[in-house]
Amino acid sequence: MTQETPKVKPSLMHNTRIFYLVPLVAAIIPFFANDYLQFMVNMIMVYVLVTVGFNLVIGNLGQLAFANTAFFGIGAYMTAILMNYAGFTFEIALVGAAISGGLAGLLASITALRGIRIYYLAIITLAFGELMRWVYIHAESVTRGTDGLPLPDVTVFGMSMHSETAKFYVFLVITVLVVKGTSNLLKSRVGRAILAIRDNELTTASLGISTANYIILTFVWSGSVVGVAGAMFAASTERVFPESFGLTEVIVHFAMVMVGGAGSLIGSVIGGVVLTALPEYFRQFPGMEELFFGVIIIAVLLFLPKGLVSLLAKVSPLFRERYYRE
Amino acid sequence: MSGLLNLADVSVHFSGLKALTDVSFDAHAGEVLALIGPNGAGKTTLFNVISGYVQPTAGEIHFKGEPIQGLTPHEVSAKGVRRTFQNGGLFGDMTVLENILTGLHVQIDSNFFGLLLGTRKADEAERAAAARARRLLALMDMDGFADQQVKSLSGGQQRMVEIVRTIATEPPLLLLDEPAVGLSPPMRARMMEVIKRLAGEEGISILLIEHAIDLVMAGSDRIVVLNSGQKIAEGKPNEIRENREVLEAYLGYA
Repeated sequence: MTQETPKVKPSLMHNTRIFYLVPLVAAIIPFFANDYLQFMVNMIMVYVLVTVGFNLVIGNLGQLAFANTAFFGIGAYMTAILMNYAGFTFEIALVGAAISGGLAGLLASITALRGIRIYYLAIITLAFGELMRWVYIHAESVTRGTDGLPLPDVTVFGMSMHSETAKFYVFLVITVLVVKGTSNLLKSRVGRAILAIRDNELTTASLGISTANYIILTFVWSGSVVGVAGAMFAASTERVFPESFGLTEVIVHFAMVMVGGAGSLIGSVIGGVVLTALPEYFRQFPGMEELFFGVIIIAVLLFLPKGLVSLLAKVSPLFRERYYRE
Repeated sequence: MSGLLNLADVSVHFSGLKALTDVSFDAHAGEVLALIGPNGAGKTTLFNVISGYVQPTAGEIHFKGEPIQGLTPHEVSAKGVRRTFQNGGLFGDMTVLENILTGLHVQIDSNFFGLLLGTRKADEAERAAAARARRLLALMDMDGFADQQVKSLSGGQQRMVEIVRTIATEPPLLLLDEPAVGLSPPMRARMMEVIKRLAGEEGISILLIEHAIDLVMAGSDRIVVLNSGQKIAEGKPNEIRENREVLEAYLGYA
């Protein structure tokens, strides 16, 4: 065992600021992408946030709560409803989606707080998602049921967001802000408390940390992030359908978390990107999409139980999660 | 009633077995009080009864003048009596530094929105905590391990980390259950030195179970000797060394 870890001054390759290059490089995508590719890139950002939010509960807090499609659907429907019936513009509806997602997260946290854990929590939260889908289908006067609820012209701060390029830049700003905010939280006492609860709830309490408050906080933040993703999803498809938020959807979300790396923010980004982009790529070979999806999940979980990010962590310490700052 | 912790005629009987009988003593603020005695003397039972893991059959325990017998372990901890365990509850997926930082959690002055937005104030509070965690580790010569996963450390090193983490919570009273067991001789000496310094400089009172008699004699201010569940002596190390009853019962001299 090494006695001393040598102190190296972080070079550019060892400084997490290098991650700021990712959105900067991504910002040039519209200059060469066609509408279809642009739409897919926008979807990738939606699923990055879906995974970032889900991973907080599944990976960081270690709770098997599968209410993610509920958060996602509530965010999407809330956006469509606020824009249709209250005349809100997208930026205001987005706040509404974040708040309603957070409230749904609060509701989901009650089950975990009441000592409902593991399989029971899994089945209750899955039921929550299915219940919400039933509501979307049957609250026809508001949601228009299975016909779907179209969005009026999507505008942000008075500018049209109709083109894929406009959506891209709005989504890029939202995604960067949400991922950075989540990173800030995780690299602080909040992130450490969440992780400590996953490892040993009793010891965490013995250190004077209010475990209940942090369980609630994780669910609410997770719900808000996924609610925002739902708002982006609604803006992207311009019409929300109940069928987008079914059981297969939550399996996709779960796969993104596990393939990227449970408990890793960078893993969430990777999982969201890979499992949105690659299945889409395989759609050109009929029938291959599902096959590919199944194979990659099995392969990653068999050979890389800590997800694709663990491969990168072997190459560079940049990809190892740090829960403090200096 | 004087002192930080007062035990008055504490007895613990487990279905007929008298683990402790009428044990009384006071622990004073800022002192290192060692609890010694042969195996089965009741030392660990005494720790368990103080920290709320075992309820006393009779007697009273007061901390800062408030009765604490009958409270749950969590409630006792909240009053400021913190203990370490033989097989400590470290967070295995975190690094050593992150473990210490969880001990500093309640002292970090920041709120949710400050942390979320990464305000300067929140950032500085975090950085100051990390610096303090490193200083606490340096106290134990553990700073070289700061960035290692706890899982990769030896048992003795893990105990050190757990003690540092408990110290980080700034407990008024710290109960240490055989902190030096399994440590190398230089590390043991270092541990006693640190324990003494904690009591002297940080004002943390320490109640200590230890088998290594040389460490106890050198490191503690006072010693309570238990034998077969009863207190047979209490005093300064040099008094204990010359106490005839202790020599017979514990040190093995005739």
